[in-house]
Amino acid sequence: MSDPEASRPFIEAANPEHPSLLDPLHQLDSLFGVVNIPNVIWIDEEGMIVRPPEPGWPPGDGYPDWLRGFVDERAAAAEKKAAEIEATDPEMAAKIRGGQDHASYADAIRDWADKGADSEFALRPDEVIATSQDRPVDKSEGAAHFELANRLWSTDRDAAIVHFNAAHRLDPENWTYKRQAWSLVGNEKAGGGEMGRFNQGPLPGEEDEWPFEGTFTSEAGRTPAGDYYPKTL
Amino acid sequence: MSTGFVARLRIGSERWDALSVITETLDISPEAFEAGTGWQIKPEGACKGEVCVPLPDGWSAAYAADRLGMAVVHDDSGLTAFGPESLNGRALVTAQAPKVVLPDLDGNDFDLASLRGKKVVLVAWAPY
Repeated sequence: MSDPEASRPFIEAANPEHPSLLDPLHQLDSLFGVVNIPNVIWIDEEGMIVRPPEPGWPPGDGYPDWLRGFVDERAAAAEKKAAEIEATDPEMAAKIRGGQDHASYADAIRDWADKGADSEFALRPDEVIATSQDRPVDKSEGAAHFELANRLWSTDRDAAIVHFNAAHRLDPENWTYKRQAWSLVGNEKAGGGEMGRFNQGPLPGEEDEWPFEGTFTSEAGRTPAGDYYPKTL
Repeated sequence: MSTGFVARLRIGSERWDALSVITETLDISPEAFEAGTGWQIKPEGACKGEVCVPLPDGWSAAYAADRLGMAVVHDDSGLTAFGPESLNGRALVTAQAPKVVLPDLDGNDFDLASLRGKKVVLVAWAPY
């Protein structure tokens, strides 16, 4: 998943004018507090962070046709569930419906491009620090386990799995730790190929062989949008 | 295999020089510690941006890690990993962007600091 060849097709298809880099050691997690993808960080001309990592998307609907249906289904299911919960737990209903607004993120970037430090979206240094991801020492320990897991993946699979599970337990809010682990195993189980990495759980009938405590469906699938992609704008 | 903090990883058919906080020995120089963690060791102590944490007992990586709230995890294989600092209970102790040097698809290092003078929107994504 960290190999250049996993990302190359997407980068070459987009043919961007900006640099595209690889982060196989998940340095962005440790250095900035990235916990999911996509996460976006704003840095000004002087090298000051003005927005710490948060969910963010390009303008318009970037979903390819084959994913569009799944996205629409999930949105409809979430709305239905929120409507059912509304009467008894409006806070939870808001979380299920809520989360970061996709459509307005690019407008916020444009506002900052125009106005710089005067943009309402550019945070002061103390605000940047205060709104960055919380990190008790448990999460530092989780990060250390995650690094060992990735390092040992190709040489000691059993040890890597132990470290991945420790990382997930110590930092349950870090979705990149989970998605990386689920994809590494799921990709192999599915036989690789273009779609293998999207397999983030056991194949039917193979549930007993799945080495992790959760899967994408069991965890992210039931997490309210407000917790999975928290609203920050 | 790696020694100290700067590890050469083999990814696919390429070799990458990469920053790593995984080490085979705790006898790590201040320079290697900085390369792996972004914390520079000065007379004032361990420093990042405008923040300095004094190291009154002198230099050792384990002592600095303890002062910075970095977890240290050992693996039976002999590897030790240092987690990031947890000084103030937040991922960021300073709003100054850290040193970030990452490889492009062809293995060439790119330094984020080369973009100073421009607004930067850094997007983390994955092929899954």
